[in-house]
Amino acid sequence: MDAVALSEERAGDVAPVSTVNRMAVAVLALIGVLISVYMSAYTFGVLGDIACGDGGCQIVQNSPWARFMGVPVPVIGLAGYSMLLAAAMLGVQPAFARSRAVPLVLAGGASIGLLFSAYLTYLEAFVIHAWCRWCIGSAILALLIFACVVPEFRRMRRSE
Amino acid sequence: MANRKKAAANSGSNMKVFYAIIAVVAVVGVGAIFYAARSGGGGMATEPLEFSAEDAGALLERARGVSVGNDDAPVQMIVFSDYMCPACAHWAGRIEQMLKAEFVETGRVHYTYYDYPLGGSFVHTFVAARAARCAGDQGRFWEYHDRLLGTQSAWMYSNSTPVNQFLQMGRDLNLDMQTFESCVRSDQHAEVVTANRLLGETLGVRGTPTIFINGRQLAEWSDYDAVRAAVQAAGGA
Repeated sequence: MDAVALSEERAGDVAPVSTVNRMAVAVLALIGVLISVYMSAYTFGVLGDIACGDGGCQIVQNSPWARFMGVPVPVIGLAGYSMLLAAAMLGVQPAFARSRAVPLVLAGGASIGLLFSAYLTYLEAFVIHAWCRWCIGSAILALLIFACVVPEFRRMRRSE
Repeated sequence: MANRKKAAANSGSNMKVFYAIIAVVAVVGVGAIFYAARSGGGGMATEPLEFSAEDAGALLERARGVSVGNDDAPVQMIVFSDYMCPACAHWAGRIEQMLKAEFVETGRVHYTYYDYPLGGSFVHTFVAARAARCAGDQGRFWEYHDRLLGTQSAWMYSNSTPVNQFLQMGRDLNLDMQTFESCVRSDQHAEVVTANRLLGETLGVRGTPTIFINGRQLAEWSDYDAVRAAVQAAGGA
């Protein structure tokens, strides 16, 4: 996919900006939002049980580390993925293709998300000693999103 | 210029593909979540079961109280109670404790608890009743019952089902959490709790707590001296 976005007012004097990476971030973040909604529904008792296979998700979700500073982890994930989704959706619009805020939000959000996922994965491996498949899925998403936002770091540097 | 027009046209068609992918992921994902919510693990039963008039008789036979004390005690006492009702918390926290110490543990009263989930604004009471029964499966009904009613104000105002608080109470009692959680998050004990409520309706229970001493409804239950007098009059002296 060779997607480009042209800022309408500046289309005549600047090169097109590739937004393929932002499209990929949007799709990945949307999957993250859906996983977070599913996990939040479980946390708040909307779901009776969770599809997890070996019960690791129940162990992780009912451990003391299922909350971070009092907030359920799936809710934090929902907020983070929603922010990335919104930024990516804006970033593919011609009017926002050259916005300075979009690379900042994408790069910052993806970095924090990756660090947080690494911390949660560490807890699963070495503290809780149980694996939640949905959490692992979310960690992989965070890694992929980070890989997709690498060009945003370059855009941030160029705009300085 | 021609290249820029071509790039703009490509961009437009790519955006259509992009929006199509987003729409497909969203629709499939939301559909999967709804499906899981409706069918995942049988779902957590949060309300009494629905039953027809023809089924009522069979359901009534499934009513089961939880008893403590001497089966052959001269005084048979039963209580219909709701875990979200403040008056029930008063009964359990003050009267019931003294009653158990003075009459149940001395073999003079056989005491039986029946669920009577009031429903309405007491939206979490059915799950609470089921959770207590799940704890009862591991022999800890009364401890769990006491915790539910003793911490009532901490969970009864929750906007969503306070599953985590119910699970924490189980953890505090050192229950086997795998078993306890799968029980709470299922529809286990939904039938018996529904049956208990039906039994209460059949006996004329209209509110909670409703207490019967040897089959007669106790009018004054909020004052321990009055309850003690009623028990003694019924043969528990």
